Order: sequence, then structure tokens, then C-alpha cells
Amino acid sequence: MKYVVFIFVLLYACSPANHGSELDISTIPWQEIEQKASGTTVNFMMWQGSPSINSYINNYVIPAVKEKYNIDLKITGGQGPEIVQLIMGEKQANVGSGQVDMVWINGETFFQLRQIDGLWGPFVTKLPNAQYVNFEDEFIGIDFQQPVNYMEAPWSVSQFALFYDTTRIQDPPSNLDELESYVKSKPGTFTISNDFSGMTLLKSFLAELGGGPESLNGPFDKIKYQELSTQLWSYINKNKKHFWKNGTTFPKEHTKMDQMYANGELLIDYGFGEGGIEDKVIQGLFPKSTRGYAWDNGTIKNSNYLGISYNSQNKLGAMVVINFLMSPEAQLKKSDPNEMDSNTILDVSKLPVEWRTKFEAQERRKYGPEMADLQEKAIQEPDPQYMIRLFEDFRTQVIEQ
Amino acid sequence: MVPFAAAFGYSLLYSFGIIGVVNDGFTLEFWAEVFRSGAFLDALIYSVTIALISVFISVTAALWFTLKFQKKLRGKIVSFMIYLPLAIPGIVAAFFTVQILSKSGLFSRFSYLLGFTSGITDFPDLINDQYAIGIILVLISVVMPFFVLLFLNVYDNERLDQLTELARSLGASNSQTIWRVSLPVILRKTWTLIALYFIFLLGAYEVPLILGQESPQMLSVLIVRELKQFDLTKISEGYVVAVMYTILVSIATILLFSKRSTENG
Repeated sequence: MKYVVFIFVLLYACSPANHGSELDISTIPWQEIEQKASGTTVNFMMWQGSPSINSYINNYVIPAVKEKYNIDLKITGGQGPEIVQLIMGEKQANVGSGQVDMVWINGETFFQLRQIDGLWGPFVTKLPNAQYVNFEDEFIGIDFQQPVNYMEAPWSVSQFALFYDTTRIQDPPSNLDELESYVKSKPGTFTISNDFSGMTLLKSFLAELGGGPESLNGPFDKIKYQELSTQLWSYINKNKKHFWKNGTTFPKEHTKMDQMYANGELLIDYGFGEGGIEDKVIQGLFPKSTRGYAWDNGTIKNSNYLGISYNSQNKLGAMVVINFLMSPEAQLKKSDPNEMDSNTILDVSKLPVEWRTKFEAQERRKYGPEMADLQEKAIQEPDPQYMIRLFEDFRTQVIEQ
Repeated sequence: MVPFAAAFGYSLLYSFGIIGVVNDGFTLEFWAEVFRSGAFLDALIYSVTIALISVFISVTAALWFTLKFQKKLRGKIVSFMIYLPLAIPGIVAAFFTVQILSKSGLFSRFSYLLGFTSGITDFPDLINDQYAIGIILVLISVVMPFFVLLFLNVYDNERLDQLTELARSLGASNSQTIWRVSLPVILRKTWTLIALYFIFLLGAYEVPLILGQESPQMLSVLIVRELKQFDLTKISEGYVVAVMYTILVSIATILLFSKRSTENG
């Protein structure tokens, strides 16, 4: 009997609750939002896996928002799955005031949070610095084929790129035919990580099989996916005996690939942030002869965003912090190649002259490619369904074969 | 017991889609899918095999150490070396193993220097490998010292040195004293703990996470992967695996202890 009661209590505790956005920001002027946010604490959950990002946040953003807005910004570690788990858990447990106010997310997490109504908004149009953003830009206003609808604020934009060591490979592959002959001539030096990065590479492959950079645009097309993915899996299965560990296993995540690239086990690697090369060369992890490049048919370009959780206790404070992170000042600092080295989401042509000149005068990268260099080979993120299917089928059709 | 039952009840409800933000009510679909995909069975067989091999080798080696070196094991240096691994968490042991056994690790570098291998690709796969060599090595190094400690205690408590002496004076040969006296006494006293350790290893997480392959995976790794997956509509499948695993382990533990209490009674 005790258990029956217990299960009912559990069921009750887990029943979904209605969380509307009771806060109406449309009538509050921005000055008042800043005033109300003063003296509060904002909890920011973000990925803390990079020293340059952490240094930007700890040594620049936290002191700046304290000084300018008298806000205490507290950072908690956590990315995609942890954010979703946390917000989903709070939703299930009916927690009215969440632990986290703002989150740093990308398209896959945005998609998941939208599925569970985990985000609060729309709020972005309210931010004064949103005027410098071009939401018509398909790589900013559209996230995984879904309009962002001002539910998340763009923070940085980057393109996926491949990279290699020029002293070890002269002519890196940039289409599927070349890749096939490459793995045959240099067996064991290429692989696909079973994570976000690997799946992003597979999306480029899928688009190439589809016949062009735009072949995956639009809503998810099941028949098209079936046809293209069948070709993709047979291509990979045919060639995987020449992959790392003869294709019997695949690395769990791309950080492992970076290590293996650094020690020479792999000769080709890839990642977002135009490959993520600059800081790793500066740190001495990657050789200085590392060069980034794009796939002939294009690589994915996307933005990452800042969102406010549906049950945030301090939505106004989070808005003030997000507005600061989108400011020309914070964005300029963030795009410095010696700092966080991430591309600004601001449309420089919309900025006041003073800031425009500062952006234009900024130092360039020494090792990695500029996003502008790869621009012609940028493709949009396809519908999230492609990613879901690729993840699942890569496991069943390739890894478990 | 109550928190455990709560977690189990929660998982059970989740596995049938009764709770969960993206679930729409009772369904058997998740259970059917887990059985259809065979993921649970693969992971179970893989986990049982790894746990059995690890426990078997650990126990055998520990018995050998105990019976062969039981006097020396009480020495300071030897005992320090044997017991040190007990203080090392599995996750640290796994990282050490990566440093030592990976293709770019210490051994690979030595073998290159000594000319056994001509490059990074020549060195054999010892971690993230098909035969789970890395996982088994770490599990053995973590578990074996515990058994040595345990067996030495039993050796003392049961006064095995006196028993063996007695057996010898009655005319038993060396091997007879080991096979007919020492081993049966030690194993009878410790077999429940050995079986519990087997169950414990069945649920190993960090070690296979770091040193294992993407497929097959050990049970805990599989469960966490399913729970954290990108497709939120399939999270319930993780709970299905967790429920099946819990039931299996609970039955095994109950059997183990009911047998033990009847024996003692």
C-alpha cells in the first residue's frame, strides 16, 4: 500500500505544470529593466571546455557586468545534454524557480529545448544591441531550418572546416572520391567521431551525395534521406577498413580526434570555428603547419545562441547580460584572434563608424582560415531530423556492423 | 531502501511512457524497441564476459599471491605496492592506462625507441580495442589487491598455516594441502564477496567509458548514452535498460543472500 501511495505522489509530482510567461516585457522601458536587474545575480550555464572562453568570461565579462550593471554573474558548467536534462528535470519536478537563468546553446539544443518548451521569450527584439544584428542573414535568423523567432539571441557564428598538416599531406581530399583514394593511400589516418562534429561532417557528405550545397535545405524529407543515407552508409562501409582502427570503432568525441591529430595518429581532423585551429596552434598543441579548408560542396555554417530558461528567476538580469554580450565592445573583444577568436554576429555595416573602424582594424588570424575565406562554401544546417537520423543510423548501419 | 524504490518506480513509469515531458502516455513501444534492437542483450553478454574474466583472473592471481607469498606480503614494500592500487579510483586508473597503453603512450614510445615498432600505427590496439584488453587490465589491477587483502585475512582468521602444517604432518603433499585444505577454506569463506564483486564490475562505468569501444558497450555506458541522447522521444529506452538491469541484479543479489542465510542457519 505504501508503494501505491508513493507512486501516486510521484505521479503528481511529475505531472506537467503550466508555465506561461507571466512577465510582460513589452511595456517596460529598457532603462527600467537595467534598474531592476541591478543588484541581482544571474546564473549562466555554459560549456567551460576551453581556456580561452573561460578567460574571456572570468577576466572580462564577469567584472564588466558587475561594474556596468551591478550584476553578479555566476557560471555553472554544462553543455547541450546537461542543459536539456536539467531543464527537463525541473519541468518534470514542477520547479517554479529554476537553477539556471541563461544558457549557451546551439541548434541541436535549441531544437530539444523547443520540444519541451524550455525557453522563455521572445525577448531578443527588446535588447538595444539587437539593432546591429542582421536577422535576415540565413545563418543567423535560421537555426537548423527553424526561424529563431527572437527566442534566442545570437552570440557567435562559425563555419565547420577540415584541417591537415601541410608537411604531411600535400593535397587533402575535398570530395568523396578524393577521400576514398586518400584513405586507401594513407590507411588509419582518418575517422569520423561519433558526436556532433562527426555528424556535421556526415551532413556535408550527405549534401554532396544529394547533388549540391542546397540539397538538404527545407523541411525533413524522409524519402530523400533514405536514398542518400543508404548511399552514404555503403560508401563508408566500403571504405571504413582504411579508417582509424580499420573502422572497427570510432572515437566518442572530437576532442579525442584533436589529441590524435596532435600526436600524428590522424592526419585529417575537423571542427567548428573554422576548424578551431588558431588557439590550438598558439598553445602549441597543433603544428604551425596546420591549415584549414572547406569541402568542395561546402561545410555547415551556423550560429550559437544565448537563451533564457522558462523558469528563470531573473529574466530581466539575464536580458541585461545577454545585451552586454551582444554589444560591439564585448563582441570586438571576443573576436580577437588572441582571445576567444570567435566571429562576431554583428553586421559591421550597421555599426556606428567608431566601432566599424575598430572591427575593420582588428588583427587577423595567423594560422586558421578567416570565415570570409570559406564563405562561398558555406551551407545551412539542415532540419534537426537529419541529425537525429544520422546519429541513430551511423550507430546501427556503421558502428554496429 | 526508499530512495532506491523511488528511483526504480520513477524509471519504471518512464520506461512505459507514463511520465516524461515528451512522452504521451502508456506505451509498450520502448520495451519492444529495446528487445528488437538487441542492444540490451549485446551489452549484457559483453558486460558479463568482461566481469567474469576480470573476476576470474583477479581471484586466481590473488590466491596465488596469498598462498605463495603470504609471508612476504606482510613486508612493508611489497604490501605497499600491492595495496596502492586500492587507493586509486577507477577513473584515474583508466587515464593512467591511456597514458601508458595508447598508441601514442609510454609503451608505444619505448617500443619505437627500441626499434620494435616503426611508427605509431604499428603498436597494437590495447585501449578502445575489440577485445576490451584495456578495460580488463584496469579492472584486474583495481580488484586484485582487494582480494589479496581479503584472502590474507581469511588465511589468518582460519589459522591456515596451522591447518596446513597439520595436514602435512598427517602425510599430505604440498599440492594436496593447497587443493584440499587452503583453497576450499578460503573460497568457502569468500565466495559471496567474489560474487558481489562480479555484480559490482557488471555495472562498471568510468573505466569502460574511457577505455571501451562505441559498440558493444557495457551496460552502464549504454544506459547513460540512451538517457542523454539527442532524440528526446527515445530517452525512455534508457529507462527500459536501467529497469531490466536493476531487476537482474536484484534477483542475483537476493538469490545470493538467501542461499547464504540458509547456509549459515
